[in-house]
Amino acid sequence: MSYKKIKGSYSFLTIPMILIMGMVIGWPLIQTFIFSFTDADLLGIGEPNFVGLNNFLNAFQNRGFLNSLRISGIFAVVVVSVEVILGTSVALLVNQPLIGSKVVRVFLILPWAVPTIVNAIMWRLIYNPEYGALNSLLYQLGMIDKYISWLSSADKALWSIIFADIWKNFSLVTLIVLASLQSLPESQIEAAKIDGANSWQRFFYITMPHIIPSLQVAMVLRIIEAVKVFDIIYVMTKGGPANKTRTGSIFIYQEAFTNSRIGAGSSFAIIMVAFIMILILFYMRTLSQQKR
Amino acid sequence: MKKKFKFSTLLKYLALIFLFVYIISPFLWLVIMSISSSAELTLKPLRWLPEKIDVSAFKELLVMGLNTRGELFLFALRNSLITALTTVFLSMLVTIPAAWVFSRYSGKKNVILSLAIFTFMLPPVAYCIPLYKMLVRFNLMDKSLALAVVYCTFVLPFCVWLIKSSIDSIPYELEEAAVIDGAGFLQRIVQIVMPLLLPALGTVALMSLIMAWDEYFYAMLFTNSKTAITLPVVIANLASGRQSNYNLIAAGGVLASAPPVIIGMLFQKALIKGLVSGGVKE
Repeated sequence: MSYKKIKGSYSFLTIPMILIMGMVIGWPLIQTFIFSFTDADLLGIGEPNFVGLNNFLNAFQNRGFLNSLRISGIFAVVVVSVEVILGTSVALLVNQPLIGSKVVRVFLILPWAVPTIVNAIMWRLIYNPEYGALNSLLYQLGMIDKYISWLSSADKALWSIIFADIWKNFSLVTLIVLASLQSLPESQIEAAKIDGANSWQRFFYITMPHIIPSLQVAMVLRIIEAVKVFDIIYVMTKGGPANKTRTGSIFIYQEAFTNSRIGAGSSFAIIMVAFIMILILFYMRTLSQQKR
Repeated sequence: MKKKFKFSTLLKYLALIFLFVYIISPFLWLVIMSISSSAELTLKPLRWLPEKIDVSAFKELLVMGLNTRGELFLFALRNSLITALTTVFLSMLVTIPAAWVFSRYSGKKNVILSLAIFTFMLPPVAYCIPLYKMLVRFNLMDKSLALAVVYCTFVLPFCVWLIKSSIDSIPYELEEAAVIDGAGFLQRIVQIVMPLLLPALGTVALMSLIMAWDEYFYAMLFTNSKTAITLPVVIANLASGRQSNYNLIAAGGVLASAPPVIIGMLFQKALIKGLVSGGVKE
């Protein structure tokens, strides 16, 4: 967007914002970067020594760290793809003129509005191995014959958390896509009908292109949240059992605040930032190629 | 209207019912747990509805008493409110003028805007260590105000992004006319832009409030007593104990969800519209 400029320089109006951002974003980022080349510890016992690239070289040999990045990756890919598919399908469903779809639309905001921590403890209560609702329900329906410990068995914990996260976050995708669907002019669909397009053709040539920009916004928001996931996992399993749910953020937190190695922790954080940057750049490139 | 029975319509209704149950049941169960007695929640097999409504969990959390759960919970409620409101006030105060400059005088300084949006994507673990050291050093641990400033790490970028794109959609001609009448930048912002921006600002403020209300990571690291601890931390601590007062945990969850859920249901349209309009224009 370009305007005929009214003369004047008002850059000074951005200074308060830049100051706060510099204090809570810029300066800490620089510090993290500097820490990553030292062996600093949390309590400040002894002067930190400069250790060059050692932290980074160690990071790529640290099984725990590499594994935590893998778990972050699995979590993000599964959660975002299910949320996008489920969220879009639900949006298409409640956009239909069905009796009761208006009521469902109102309640769609509920999962999104429930705070992440409440979502985490809610599902922890539901998954409780002895008194949880899930075991009780499955047992009473005759689907299992003995209670399952969802969050403390190595092969189920991550999937249980993923299920809990999907419940809360698919609704954001739905709400965004729904808003876009409702701005689709009825006349376009009507015109296509007159031209003899069947419902699949109408979906692929009219509805889909219309909702894709909104869907992309929803996807970006969800990818950003999913790669850096911490809260829901920390509250539900603290990264256990046997580190099967220890994501990148959890690993870095433990390294810095439990093991008090902030030098190494910072280098892990910098590597994670680098990964996220690559991811975003890749995403933006594919977007701009699509536009051409 | 054709009166023909369609199999696909039946499927759609089944899907709709299933969807409704899926959305409602986990939270409904949380509410039921919160009004059950703790003894009923440890029955095997579970009873799905309490024999009679028991509000003792809510009483325990909401009645003030020295060194009780109620005291901690009520203080946390107050702290969460103060922190969230301060965060939003501070963010608005500094981002509105900045967003106006980014919108009206775009140029090289929009690198700052891109940087701000970019930092929104970085994980808190990339900042938390230096922030922790900084707060310890300046004796700012366990202070609501300090926590609110820290919350600007994620609320500021979000605000400047959405407010800038909202200002973009306000016609520039209005300001040109005002300048001819001799208006300075302050009048242009306060008298021309602000009144038209208010609905969008409301949306951004509500979204930011919910974001700050939800925050757990920094609050867990930077607060530890009733002077500044926030609700998410108190609830997570409540749940991490070995105790089996499941009704108490559930009641805490219901109380903490109430404000965002009510705001969400009342302002659903505005919230979603704000989010979409900010993003799609990019």
